[in-house]
Amino acid sequence: MILIISCCKISFSEEEFVRPIIDIIRNFGQKYCVRKYYENICFNKYEKIIISGTALMDSDYLNYIKNFEKLKDFEGKVLGICAGYQILARIYENILSKMEKIGVYRVKIIRKNPLIEEKEFYAYFLHRYALRNTNNNLEILAKQNGEICMFKVVSKDFYGLSFSPEVLNKYILENFARL
Amino acid sequence: MNISDKTLEKYMKVCVLYSGGKDSNLALLKAYNIFDVSCLVTLIPRSEKSYLFHYPNVDLVRLQAKALNIPIIIDECMDDEESSLNALYNVLSNAREKYDVKGVVTGAIKSTYQASRFQKICLDLDLWCFNPLWLRDEISLLREILKHRFEVIFTRVAGYPLKKSLLGRRIDDSIIRFFEEIKYYVNPSGEGGEYETFVLNMPLFRKKIKVIEYEIYGDNYDATLIIKRAELLNDSNNILL
Repeated sequence: MILIISCCKISFSEEEFVRPIIDIIRNFGQKYCVRKYYENICFNKYEKIIISGTALMDSDYLNYIKNFEKLKDFEGKVLGICAGYQILARIYENILSKMEKIGVYRVKIIRKNPLIEEKEFYAYFLHRYALRNTNNNLEILAKQNGEICMFKVVSKDFYGLSFSPEVLNKYILENFARL
Repeated sequence: MNISDKTLEKYMKVCVLYSGGKDSNLALLKAYNIFDVSCLVTLIPRSEKSYLFHYPNVDLVRLQAKALNIPIIIDECMDDEESSLNALYNVLSNAREKYDVKGVVTGAIKSTYQASRFQKICLDLDLWCFNPLWLRDEISLLREILKHRFEVIFTRVAGYPLKKSLLGRRIDDSIIRFFEEIKYYVNPSGEGGEYETFVLNMPLFRKKIKVIEYEIYGDNYDATLIIKRAELLNDSNNILL
């Protein structure tokens, strides 16, 4: 069972940031359930977790970072998308920089990983903050013009993406479901 | 304390980027059930070459706004990207000032070109951007407009195999089957300008629109239907209102 955590304060935004992920996971034949970022969730009930993105004006999820601290004890696999990327970066004590990026940009893979086979690809970005540097808790997997747009948490199967794979790179979500 | 989503949404004033076609009307319907839709916003491009906005019959949005009983802000723009974006910024800024809107609803489906530009302008204006049709399967959207009993006609075709004879025809089951057959080489939503539509009736219309006089210009596979005269009928048959 895959848990999809919605980071959307306003439910109407879920049509844009959560429903497309559900469609991909469902079409891939996986079972899923959806919970909100502010709920107290028992993560260990699930095999995999996807943490969604949200609207550019929405940063309410940052008020609930403590809810995600216990993810560090989770033994399964996690994919953080945009807001989810920021949550993973924050709980592993990284500092996000103000970096507005909206639109389609070319991404360069730095380190081989099970989510993407290509060395370069185009992805759709929609964010205001991202990482320029990481501490030792994170491995850099891909970059876009100085921005760390994909990372892996060291010794965990936790991945962060600063772009929205559901738009141009559905296979990333399918590869994650396959892990 | 966490403010409930429903409370927040119910009191949020939004405007809808409105072209009068099927997608902006479906986005409006979805937003209307959630938010306080304070106004519609329309940009009228100079010609059908516009990169961002719908062209044929767009001046008839005034009649649609009347049918909806929702205020509308209309502005004109040139066809080039920079002018279109400046005009969009200005018209949304005007909507924010006049109606105190906090968000914008669009009918973008898969165009990252459109969506990223709308997102950027909304962010610059401190407005929430909502795209309720984003990444939806195009055929399922066509089915949804039929489920909601939209009455939609084709007003432009721009490319094989969309024939001139489609102009004026309503979207129905057989049209959807046709788009399903050609979906691998024609975008079934028409988002890339393959075709354009005009909505005569939908569940929020208090009166439906009747086309009295029209003209068709152009050749097969590249033609436009221009509505010369249209009026509101007294009965929309909409039981949702």
